[in-house]
Amino acid sequence: MDKPAQIPVTVLTGFLGAGKTTLLNRILTEHHGKRYAVIVNEFGEEGIDNDLVVDADEEVFEMNNGCICCTVRGDLIRILSGLMKRGDQFDAIMVETTGLADPAPVAQTFFVDQDVADRTRLDAIVTVADAVHLDAQLGEHHEAEEQVAFADVVLLNKTDLVEADGLERVEARIRKINPYAKIIRTARCAASLDEVLGLNAFSLDRVLEMEPDFLTSDHDHEHDDEVASVSFVSETPLDLDRFQEWFGNLLQQRGQDILRSKGILDFSGHRDRYVFQGVHMLMDGSPMGPWPEDGPRMSRMVFIGRNLESMGLKEGFEACRAT
Amino acid sequence: MTTDLPRRVNRRAGFPESELEKCGLKLETGAPVTGAVAAGDAVALASGDGTVRFFHPETDPTVTMAHNGAVLCLAADGDHVLTGGDDGRFLRVSHKGQVEEIANFGSRWVDCVAAGHGQRACSSGRTVHVWRDGKATAASLEHASTVGGLAFDAKGRRLAATHYGGATVWERGQRRWRPSKLVWKGSHGAVSFSPDGRYLVTAMQENALHGWRLRDKSHMTMQGYPAKIKSLAWVGGAPHLATSGADEAICWPFDGKDGPMGRTPLCVAHGGKRLATCVQSLSEENAVFAGFQDGAVLLAELDEAKDAVVVRGSTGAEVTAIATTRSLSHVLIGDAKGGVLWTTLWEGEAHARTV
Repeated sequence: MDKPAQIPVTVLTGFLGAGKTTLLNRILTEHHGKRYAVIVNEFGEEGIDNDLVVDADEEVFEMNNGCICCTVRGDLIRILSGLMKRGDQFDAIMVETTGLADPAPVAQTFFVDQDVADRTRLDAIVTVADAVHLDAQLGEHHEAEEQVAFADVVLLNKTDLVEADGLERVEARIRKINPYAKIIRTARCAASLDEVLGLNAFSLDRVLEMEPDFLTSDHDHEHDDEVASVSFVSETPLDLDRFQEWFGNLLQQRGQDILRSKGILDFSGHRDRYVFQGVHMLMDGSPMGPWPEDGPRMSRMVFIGRNLESMGLKEGFEACRAT
Repeated sequence: MTTDLPRRVNRRAGFPESELEKCGLKLETGAPVTGAVAAGDAVALASGDGTVRFFHPETDPTVTMAHNGAVLCLAADGDHVLTGGDDGRFLRVSHKGQVEEIANFGSRWVDCVAAGHGQRACSSGRTVHVWRDGKATAASLEHASTVGGLAFDAKGRRLAATHYGGATVWERGQRRWRPSKLVWKGSHGAVSFSPDGRYLVTAMQENALHGWRLRDKSHMTMQGYPAKIKSLAWVGGAPHLATSGADEAICWPFDGKDGPMGRTPLCVAHGGKRLATCVQSLSEENAVFAGFQDGAVLLAELDEAKDAVVVRGSTGAEVTAIATTRSLSHVLIGDAKGGVLWTTLWEGEAHARTV
């Protein structure tokens, strides 16, 4: 059977007024020779200049599989499936979410719906943040934290309106929530488009690029409700059965609070690296070839979420070590 | 039924080209086929480039440019077809190429269409619009979320619309349509009344069917499919409801007092390891066509002891539409890459006559 090519989908999140539409219009006008389909929400404030703009009502559906955190965007399933029926194809699809949208259902749609997963792939979640207002928004809205937590790229916009130390402060705040997102400082969304498009951030290959430097576990005690991240490293190989039992139960029971997870694991008795990444309780993982000969075999794991302190993650992870 | 499918055929390598295929008409239309339906003496085929083609047993196929974008849905309306497109238009198209615009919703897609006894319905977003013959204005039926499927019953008195959380059955009164809610958790898509009007069945976002006995709204869950069910067809006199979504056509019995409850389905037209993506009834013959993700189409009687015949061999492109003429003389098959086969069912060396 011929496997059709997967069209990359870039998701743009960010609060109202942060600059999503500015970025979108830049992508559409500056990336010459590329064809885009753009899915916008009904509250979009400005005009978008493109051949194919599809209006969407953000319809978040719970899957009827007994899992309360397994929500998907029903309108995206319908629209992406519809776009795949067109004779003319696109180079990429852009999805603009409303300001108050939780990115999880968007990401989960690509895990859950087989047709969507077969024909498209989530390229990256790009969050446009307003350098002036982000700090206040993070304090007031869960959604702002989620948008930063899910981001592969945070476009820190309107930096020309903030003093240098204010900028440092807001960047530190972003880092605390999500140390793995790439932060790009811009005024008027003037980022190089190569830093925003074609990132393939949800591929398991990219998990391998996780920098070990980031993975130091020195976190202040967070306010329980705040989104934060933790990471763990083990030089002792892990036991596959123990890990599966612990991690499976963890996602089942606490998946609602775990926004994103990623890892590269060394299982005792296995030649290949095992790589995974997850969104809430959905997880995608596979062996990704042998360990490089010149580097150490080391398991690394990262969680971004709420109430991580209460999950006994460190103890759980350490108990998976093969003895 | 003739058996031109050797039992030990290497099914992994795909099904060979059939005799029916060799004597049929093959087209590469260049755009994914999005639907096919019998209309009058012909079969209409809709495509992702906005065209509607009519295939007639006696004359050459015709092509009409109908939508400025993909044709998303298609239904027969006498010898015409109703189409909905991603250009926001709801059209009525004749085999002569006449296009009548019934409504235009602008940037909102027309996701579903249905026709029954002079009534023409379409959905755009959460609203279903119904026109009755001779009337210029439509009734608007509102739902809480986007409509995923639309179907009239055989008499045209009831109209079912699916959405998140179940389905709504609208019954036509003297002055207005009266809703009756059928509730079941999850998102519902394609919908169909049983031919006798006693049951309503929906295909869900999950790999399952849901059904209701309309008399008492009792539930039927039909699950265990490895993939989403994209296609439903009522087959034979019992009748059976044939479905895609597994590596064969799964056919649920709807006779008796409780329909399929507590009974096992018939599984026919086994496709090896490939998934069926499209089913169609060979009406009155108690037989079902099953189209697969590799392009093959098998025809099988509703009898697990009998083998299927190959109507179309493996081509590599997922079957997205199958329709026969009302006289059952010809079958039309379309796939996701725009490949089309139009062939007689009753001629040639290895015909399917002995069904």
